[in-house]
Amino acid sequence: MDVVDQIHALRAGKLSRRAFTRSLFALGIVPVMVPLLPRPARSAPEDHATWFTWGGFDIPDFFQEYVARRGEVPNFATFGSAEEAFNRLRSGFVADLAHPCITDVPRWASTGLFQPIDVSRLSNWPDVIPELWNVDYNLSEGRPWLVPFTWGQTSIAYRTDLYDLEGAEESWDMLWNTRYSGQLGMLAGGGDAWWCAAIKAGVPFDQIHTDDAFARISAVLREQRPLIRMYTDDTTSSDTALAAGEIVATMAWNSSVVSLTAQGVPVKFAKPREGALTYVCGLMLHAQAPRIDSAYDVLDSLISVSAADFNMRAYGYGGVNRKAFDQFTDEELAALGLARNPMDVLQAGHFGIPQTPEWDQRMTSTWEQIKLGF
Amino acid sequence: MSAADPAAPVRPGALTRFLHRHEGWRGHLLLAPALLLMAAAILFPLGMTLAMSTWSLAGYDIDRTPGLGNYAAMVENPMFGALILRTLTIALTSTLFTVILVYPVAYYVAFHVTRHKALWLILLTLPFWTSYLLRVFSWRVVLGQEGVINSALMGLGLIDSPLSFLLYSQTAVTIVLAHSWAAFAILPIYVSLEKINRSWLEAAADLGDGPVRRFWRITFPLSLPGVVAAFILMFVPTMGEYITPLMVGGPDSMMVGNLVQAMFGPMNNWPAGAALAVVMMVTIALAGLVFLLLNRLVQR
Repeated sequence: MDVVDQIHALRAGKLSRRAFTRSLFALGIVPVMVPLLPRPARSAPEDHATWFTWGGFDIPDFFQEYVARRGEVPNFATFGSAEEAFNRLRSGFVADLAHPCITDVPRWASTGLFQPIDVSRLSNWPDVIPELWNVDYNLSEGRPWLVPFTWGQTSIAYRTDLYDLEGAEESWDMLWNTRYSGQLGMLAGGGDAWWCAAIKAGVPFDQIHTDDAFARISAVLREQRPLIRMYTDDTTSSDTALAAGEIVATMAWNSSVVSLTAQGVPVKFAKPREGALTYVCGLMLHAQAPRIDSAYDVLDSLISVSAADFNMRAYGYGGVNRKAFDQFTDEELAALGLARNPMDVLQAGHFGIPQTPEWDQRMTSTWEQIKLGF
Repeated sequence: MSAADPAAPVRPGALTRFLHRHEGWRGHLLLAPALLLMAAAILFPLGMTLAMSTWSLAGYDIDRTPGLGNYAAMVENPMFGALILRTLTIALTSTLFTVILVYPVAYYVAFHVTRHKALWLILLTLPFWTSYLLRVFSWRVVLGQEGVINSALMGLGLIDSPLSFLLYSQTAVTIVLAHSWAAFAILPIYVSLEKINRSWLEAAADLGDGPVRRFWRITFPLSLPGVVAAFILMFVPTMGEYITPLMVGGPDSMMVGNLVQAMFGPMNNWPAGAALAVVMMVTIALAGLVFLLLNRLVQR
């Protein structure tokens, strides 16, 4: 039946139910058949490993080596905070590779969901800066649980034109400044917020598990809450809010400042006088990784020179491949908040200490309640 | 009668005979696939939720001894009561706004549109043609400090500094919810208005009722089932909202859905999350009952 005829029939009210059903059926056939249409031959997604990572790393730029070897980028699944990712993995989600931070390693490894990584399968491994992974708790019989991929700082990103320091030094107090009530932002994940609040409260990290520390950290976070406009882990949300002047200062990672500066927004990554929170994050291999060969290629690609170079240039996160630093001058690195020797930055700030599952449980539930206002 | 008799009629199968005799079972058999799906996809998870809500947490593991600890914690901690109250307020306000706003539209389409009615109805559901997430995101562009409303007001010289309560606030959540669910509210109201027998209105006019009295005495009461249906259709899903407060709400507009998500996500306390979900279901059921009772009362 002609389409125009059908429309006329419909208008005249003469289209029979049967004819109508038939044309609906015909319409339905099309979307069903589309996947069967010829398309360029390529390997199926199930041939590639899945990388469970923070939103923003799921782009081809990190995979030049991988694509050269396997023709396509691997599969991605993304999360907003490490706690969220951990719980998804624990409830049965299998991704070949996950992306926690190194202080999470003892907790994550204790679940039996991961396997130590055979670094002899990684061609770029000799160039990886050893200080970034060579700590006792990351090693199992000499093999690392986590292969480092990024390092950097959690600090404050602020609008230099809208936030007036009034001669004061940059400090964590900036996120507690009542003058900017309703214009401040915070990261929503406890892995960042809780530790930064510990710095603000003056709690040494080796004391963070005590009841006294819980009381003091909760107190500063409760004090801060009325001033906060948004708690978010979604960097797109906080970046747009910062660009619009919706918020004038927020807890942030390196990438926010780099991308906003590139857009011409006057922002600065603060060097708080108390020190920033510093971290090393990387990849852990699932114990039942279904595509383990592909997963090793993903790992190798992520520690390559090109991935490290892109990481530093586009996001401002520290790369892990020593050779990538040759392409940067000291000034360029300093402008990104990085250094030729990562330890210069990591030790100048406060580096997290692994905690027990019970601590983590208590911290997250306290923090979630504080965010809700209780 | 012997089986060899060629003249004997073909006897229908036992099932056919049974169904022929029992009309009720015909219906049940037709319903069976849907009922099975319901049982598998609704009752089973519901039972799981109920069971899980009585469990408790032991470290990273779950202790399966039944108990009411999760419910007791909800009574003790004022957070839950306050959050449920806030959720009720947000859902009721946005539902009320929506129903009041869309009633005239439905009325117009039912009574004053004579041609292309279907086209009108399709146009009214147009916002639903884009992804929900995109719609919520575009509200950010409208409500933000550099957004459409603030720049227009500033351009007109009506305000000096942007209105910050427009975004990341309860206002924002209410506005976005009202917009997002409008089509759900329009359709039932439209249907109930469309069904009203026009000769009753003529009779009322003949007996001396003016347009206003006619509306309040005939049109409005007869459209109430549609209004109640719209209310429930919109109230129930908004009570469980999670993504809207997350995207346009501030710290003070988080709803129960966000806490449930946090419990199943970062807090990793599934039993407590299940208990909260059960409490929400009961709250919604109670609220639904209240609507139905109100409907009965008004119609009397």
